[in-house]
Amino acid sequence: MNFWKGFAAAMVALPFVAGGALAQNADQQKTLVVAVPSDPVSLEPGTNKAEPIGSEIILNVFDTLVAWTAPDFTKLEGRLANNWKVSDDGKEFTFQLREGVKFQDGTAFDAAAVKFSLERTKASNSYVKATFDLIKDITVVSPTEVKITLTAAYPAFLSILAQPQSAIVSPTAVEKYGDKFAANPVGTGPFVFKSAQADTNVVLEANPDYFRGAPKLSTIIYRVIPDASTRRLELESGGVDIVQQQGQLSAIAAEDIGALKENKDVKVLETSSQIIRQLEFNNSKTDGPFADVKVRQAVAHAIDYDGLLEGVFGGTAERVYGPLTSNSWAFNPKMKELAPKYDVELAKKLLEEAKVDPSSLNLKLYSFQGPLWGAVATFVQANLADIGVNATIEQTEFPALRALQTSGQFDVALDGRQPWYNDPDAHITIGYLSSLANTAMTFRMPEDKALDDLILKAQQTPDMEARKQLYFQIQEEIAKRVPGAYLFSPKLIVFARANVEGLVVNSAPPLNEYWSVYKK
Amino acid sequence: MASFILRRLIALIPVMAIVLVIVFSLVRMIPGDPAVTLLGPGATQGQIDALRAQLDLDQPVVLQFLHYVLGLLQGDFGFSLKTGLPVANEILTRLPATIELSVCAVIVAIIFGIPLGVLSAVRPNSLFDHVTRVGSLIGVSMPAFLLALILQLVFGTMLGWLPVSGRMSSFMTVQPVTGFAILDGIITGNLYAAWSAVQHLILPTAVLAAFLAATLGRFVRNTMLDVMGEDFIRTARAKGLHNSDVVLNHGLRNSLLPAITVIGLKFAEMLGGAILTETIFAWPGIGRYMFEAIKNRDYPVIQGTTLVFALMFVLTSIIVDVLYGVLDPRVRHRMK
Repeated sequence: MNFWKGFAAAMVALPFVAGGALAQNADQQKTLVVAVPSDPVSLEPGTNKAEPIGSEIILNVFDTLVAWTAPDFTKLEGRLANNWKVSDDGKEFTFQLREGVKFQDGTAFDAAAVKFSLERTKASNSYVKATFDLIKDITVVSPTEVKITLTAAYPAFLSILAQPQSAIVSPTAVEKYGDKFAANPVGTGPFVFKSAQADTNVVLEANPDYFRGAPKLSTIIYRVIPDASTRRLELESGGVDIVQQQGQLSAIAAEDIGALKENKDVKVLETSSQIIRQLEFNNSKTDGPFADVKVRQAVAHAIDYDGLLEGVFGGTAERVYGPLTSNSWAFNPKMKELAPKYDVELAKKLLEEAKVDPSSLNLKLYSFQGPLWGAVATFVQANLADIGVNATIEQTEFPALRALQTSGQFDVALDGRQPWYNDPDAHITIGYLSSLANTAMTFRMPEDKALDDLILKAQQTPDMEARKQLYFQIQEEIAKRVPGAYLFSPKLIVFARANVEGLVVNSAPPLNEYWSVYKK
Repeated sequence: MASFILRRLIALIPVMAIVLVIVFSLVRMIPGDPAVTLLGPGATQGQIDALRAQLDLDQPVVLQFLHYVLGLLQGDFGFSLKTGLPVANEILTRLPATIELSVCAVIVAIIFGIPLGVLSAVRPNSLFDHVTRVGSLIGVSMPAFLLALILQLVFGTMLGWLPVSGRMSSFMTVQPVTGFAILDGIITGNLYAAWSAVQHLILPTAVLAAFLAATLGRFVRNTMLDVMGEDFIRTARAKGLHNSDVVLNHGLRNSLLPAITVIGLKFAEMLGGAILTETIFAWPGIGRYMFEAIKNRDYPVIQGTTLVFALMFVLTSIIVDVLYGVLDPRVRHRMK
């Protein structure tokens, strides 16, 4: 009997004893555990396809030449480049590089490494073909100076250089590991890749020699937790320190956000994103009801924008006034007045003027899958019903929806886009250039020489201020054409344990850097 | 017996071939292009086309099939469309986690399920019987995700006794030797890691075992009740055998045969991956791998995992047949 009592006591005590020993074992105070929904696809900048988890790890293990400056991301700062010059024709970019920087394998960073890395990505990465093919030549002027020549002026190229695909890799390590480089990534970044276990974790350790100063954390553990409710429980029990949105995936169910805001062990960091979600018309269709701009206007005025933000999102999304989000450096403040206001009477009047009987419109409203899109679609459906328009919701799996859109087999659809490089080009050129109408992610704009010329000119003008004015003009021009109703921009939300400090939430690309993070 | 096993193993070849053809064609009938899915909503048409060409998805299906079968014959399961890693290797790294969980769940289920069933059957309609029956009804009908959530909430978040998810503490690593976390911890002398692995195993095992134990309990109770009414039980009692001898050697032994089929089938199912349990507990097993692959239309991974799953199923049923022979002399005789 006594033996069993002792045994039972030992069994109960063991976890605590072992747990105590473990706490001493690893310095948890300097370790940050980040919950992610799946393994990174790859840690290889050369083939990176803007997949969120791998991309974020890349940005913490490697450095880029330039990066957008926190917290508002309206200015570029030098990282591996000290400073840079753009030629008057906008085709030549000359970078002065930081001296004395070493890769994590001890080899020196220099201009040759920049040339090597960018040419490597250009040769192997189909995903960035459109922009990297603009590179005509990369010249090593001296070990600390590199000149990149483009075939055409493209000022957004600097933003492209802040992307994970443009991360500078150690040429020696690439040669050593060959096609195993993704499993042994070596950069100059604040953290060094240590290990990865399939479906379990990726471990990074601090780089004490980092050129901006050693990071305050000693270890980052990316823990793979596929289920959203498990991520929440782990956050609440302290098993993880950070749960974040990964690209467009929501990290924790929307209805849990309110509950977590009440929890004093957890803090919720919110920041504006550059994501735009819209109700879009099939603008190339010349025969449907929406060929008439008045009908498009009517729909744009039928939507209760503020009601949608409050009712469906409870404040976790923001208003979008036009083709660019209001946190973009090229956002035209006049758009706030020009944006259509919720006005049912006006919408009905516009339909009358267009001589369209609303009850004759039987729309199929296409949408992505998932409860959130379902709620948005239902809200829009109710708004349309208020002006007498009947719409049936068709929630379609993503690849199938994309196929419908590129083939133009729809009248209205819910859609959206999250730009990864911080430039108006990301929304405007792909969305509204008529020559791209039949490709993915566009508003299917009809041929329109005036607008097309304006878009191309804005894309290629080197002077930042002149460019900004061009984009101001483009936003107004697009608004006149009413290619869709801009519904909302979801905020980027990061959940952290209350003692996590120093995290800056980045909006484009939506990837976080942990160099400055520490635990209180 | 040996020739029986050999015959069954040879019969495995056509079965696997049929599975292969079905899986290969079914997977390609699911709507949705892997290239579109992999690149996500931000991709342009040019990016999608380039990836399709890179993954050979623009080749005719028959050619893709021949290419795949030729690879399989050399033990090459192909490469994941998503990560570019070899599928065979990826399956092998995940299989031990699934086996570890399944074996533990089956053992726990047997330990609880069979005695409960026997005790209920011995005293039918007693209080114990009623409690057990209600308990097993709950066990059978409670969805795994709900039970998992309750256990995580109570033992993980509220009491803090057990980890919410994962296979081992994030702060520990073990050099993989066998791939089985507990075993590796013991082999490498890292007992803290082994203990952490045990702690992490408890909740997912409980979820999986609860269902199986409940099923098994109900099953054993029913067959026991039938068997205990048979003539040979009356004969045994008439011989003056001790009650426990009658129940265990005559009653249970005869009731176990059908129970073994149930255990075998459920075990095979678990080896194919308990997708829900593995997902909720962030358990790095093969079920989750397969599920992710289906979502991503990762053709080679879906094919590879399905083939392994089919193989597990067939092998388990062979083992069940052999066990029948071991337990029942009549069956053993027929096998010859």
